[in-house]
Amino acid sequence: MVIMSLEARHLKFGYTLGKTVLHDISLACSSGEVIYVLGRNGSGKTTLLSCLAGILRPENGKILVNGENLHQLSHAERARRISLIPQIHTPTFSYTVEEMVMMGRAPHLGWLGSPSRKDRTIVEDVMAQVGIYELRGRPYTEISGGEQQLTLIAMGLAQQCPILLMDEPTAHLDLSNQHRVLEIVQQLSDQGLSFIISSHSPNNALAYADRVLMLTGGWVTASGKPEDTLTSTLLSSVYGVQTEVLYENQGERETPIAVITQRPITLLPESLKDPDSLLSDLFNQSKDSPQLILLTGLSGVGKTTWCSQLVALARERGLTVNGLLSPSVFKEGRKVGINIADLQSGETRQLASLRKGDSGKIGTPRWSFDPEVTAWANRVLEEPAPSDLLVIDEVGPLELLQDEGLTAGLRRLDAGEYKVACVVIRISLLPNALQRWPHATVVKATLPKS
Amino acid sequence: MPLTEMPRPLKRTITGITLFALPAVLFFLTLFLGRYPITPEEVIRILLSPLFPGLAVKIPDIAQQLVLRIRLPRALGALLIGASFGGTGTAFQAIFKNPLVDSNILGVTSGAGFGAALALLLLQDMWWVQLFAFLFGLLAVALAFFGSRLYRSAPLLVLTLMGVLIGSLFGSLTALLKYLADPLDTLPAITFWLLGSLTTITWSSLTALTLITLLGLTFLFLIRWRLNVLSLGDEEAQALGVNPARMKLWIVLASTLMTAAAVSVSGVIGWVGLVIPHAGRLLVGPDHKRLLPAAVALGASFLLLIDNIARVLLPGEIPLGVLTGLVGVPILILLLRRGRMGW
Repeated sequence: MVIMSLEARHLKFGYTLGKTVLHDISLACSSGEVIYVLGRNGSGKTTLLSCLAGILRPENGKILVNGENLHQLSHAERARRISLIPQIHTPTFSYTVEEMVMMGRAPHLGWLGSPSRKDRTIVEDVMAQVGIYELRGRPYTEISGGEQQLTLIAMGLAQQCPILLMDEPTAHLDLSNQHRVLEIVQQLSDQGLSFIISSHSPNNALAYADRVLMLTGGWVTASGKPEDTLTSTLLSSVYGVQTEVLYENQGERETPIAVITQRPITLLPESLKDPDSLLSDLFNQSKDSPQLILLTGLSGVGKTTWCSQLVALARERGLTVNGLLSPSVFKEGRKVGINIADLQSGETRQLASLRKGDSGKIGTPRWSFDPEVTAWANRVLEEPAPSDLLVIDEVGPLELLQDEGLTAGLRRLDAGEYKVACVVIRISLLPNALQRWPHATVVKATLPKS
Repeated sequence: MPLTEMPRPLKRTITGITLFALPAVLFFLTLFLGRYPITPEEVIRILLSPLFPGLAVKIPDIAQQLVLRIRLPRALGALLIGASFGGTGTAFQAIFKNPLVDSNILGVTSGAGFGAALALLLLQDMWWVQLFAFLFGLLAVALAFFGSRLYRSAPLLVLTLMGVLIGSLFGSLTALLKYLADPLDTLPAITFWLLGSLTTITWSSLTALTLITLLGLTFLFLIRWRLNVLSLGDEEAQALGVNPARMKLWIVLASTLMTAAAVSVSGVIGWVGLVIPHAGRLLVGPDHKRLLPAAVALGASFLLLIDNIARVLLPGEIPLGVLTGLVGVPILILLLRRGRMGW
């Protein structure tokens, strides 16, 4: 793949004279970089991408591809360097998915060219990569919005450009497909491809961006590394909603991990005894509708201990409890395994152990899960025993992003088959969990210092 | 590969062969069908007689004249004009992103109709009628095209609107000429021309038509895959490295020349360019790589069929403009019942 950079200098653009949509925008994207363009609806994100793709011509300013002026390249030359993956649009004619993806090959074929066997191979590869190979014969107009979006992404990839501009690529995708697309972006950027992505998700920007450009009314209000740019203050003022950025300790530094639009509540399990406390309130409200607590906190803060205290107190009050706890197994002060305990029967089994050769010291330890125990845990969660409190410790990336692991728990949560549920979740997954269960209350686990 | 997909290439091959055998069969049928009976064997002998003069000795002279000087040019004309309408209709539907248009949307037929009426009124010579029809067809499209440049944004919509406007302008002018024409002599000639017919085709009128149609069809055939990209819309086409304005200009130019050439020979034959692409989509799908050749073959077959009916059904000839709808609508309804179509 050819290494290429894209640079824009002092862009100014307006659709009609006197109404400027973009003001003095400069940015540079080098090989392998992922830039997220954030901003509210109508802030100029799509217009900026169209300018960068050379479809709209700016009134002022310059766009350089590897030092060459973009507007001096021919249409085909430009489209071999920069591909723009648009938002979903509906074509007049019902081309099949494969025929749509094939159109991505247009800049590589001459005026009179038709796709060859080589083009067909490329198209089949990108369809497999994006996960739409099975859909290739279906009419594009008859597949779901998410599948259409994946088709357009495949079409953009078939263009085989070193620079890809994506206009809200995950807008219509479910969580697992969002994850898939963002992983593809990351893989390709590791191979040296550059991405400029417009998005409404500060969370994706935190997780995947090298740099962020925040647009407000066509002006750049912030630009830089996501951890420096995406602060609660800036996000709250740009989006006009109370926004909270949650941090996690990574090594020495506090790193922003998630952006959510509610302030997490700090609670002690003991407060369940207090009749005016939020926990008591939740149990009272559960008579009308199921109540969900997403329990979060930094790793090692004692989320499981918090849960087990809640369970003990709930039992003291005469409430019935079921579900799973997953206490860690420690050996010589090191976490070496994860147990899983059925709260109803009290039975405990070991769910995971450290993978061989993993010291467990640096970064996230790698676990090997016992499939039999996972199946058992799912059976426990499937048992329809009605209870006052359902505990699921914990819902992780496997469950939320790949629909594997403790999936029976997810189904119960989706169906609302609980009165009060307390679900343990890590900070980085909070935005996804809130997207799935928007009514949930976020509680930050804190324990009294003993 | 799943079992259900195995026969797809085979099915495609069969459809392809059928589509191209159809015009050939109908073409041959045209040569021996008619009020003067000529057997297929005689037709073959007559066709080969310019090369082997001995073959047609026993065949009456009138049959030879009929096949070589009347039926052959007429069959060729129907073949070319039908192919031209099928091809240009498909191209126009793609570049206008609209399945309800054909190459007449920019006013070429109305212009040609006016030109023909004018020539019939003033000069009453078929050669002039053809020339006027051709030139006024081009003039109408040129007016629509440059008129649309007056207004900058939403170019496609403005161009369509201008085409409709110019078309109705020439329609009014034609009506005026009909009002002025001698009701016993010129008026029937104008009316008959406007209903479309292939009776006047001779070898000499075929030369220009053949040249323009073959060149135009070759061009459309070569760029047919790009029609897919153009049909996505201007911005999408630009993002895919296609210059939509330039491509469309060439396509409009080629299609207009083809349509003007066809209409100047045949008179007004509507409907074919509008509906044949839909029949093509039902048979081979929307990919223009297959659709364009299919629509060309279907258009040619359809016009040959219609012209045969026009010649044979009644003692006098039925105007083609009358028959295209009468025969075409039931055929399309049958296809619609059979096929599962999404535009």
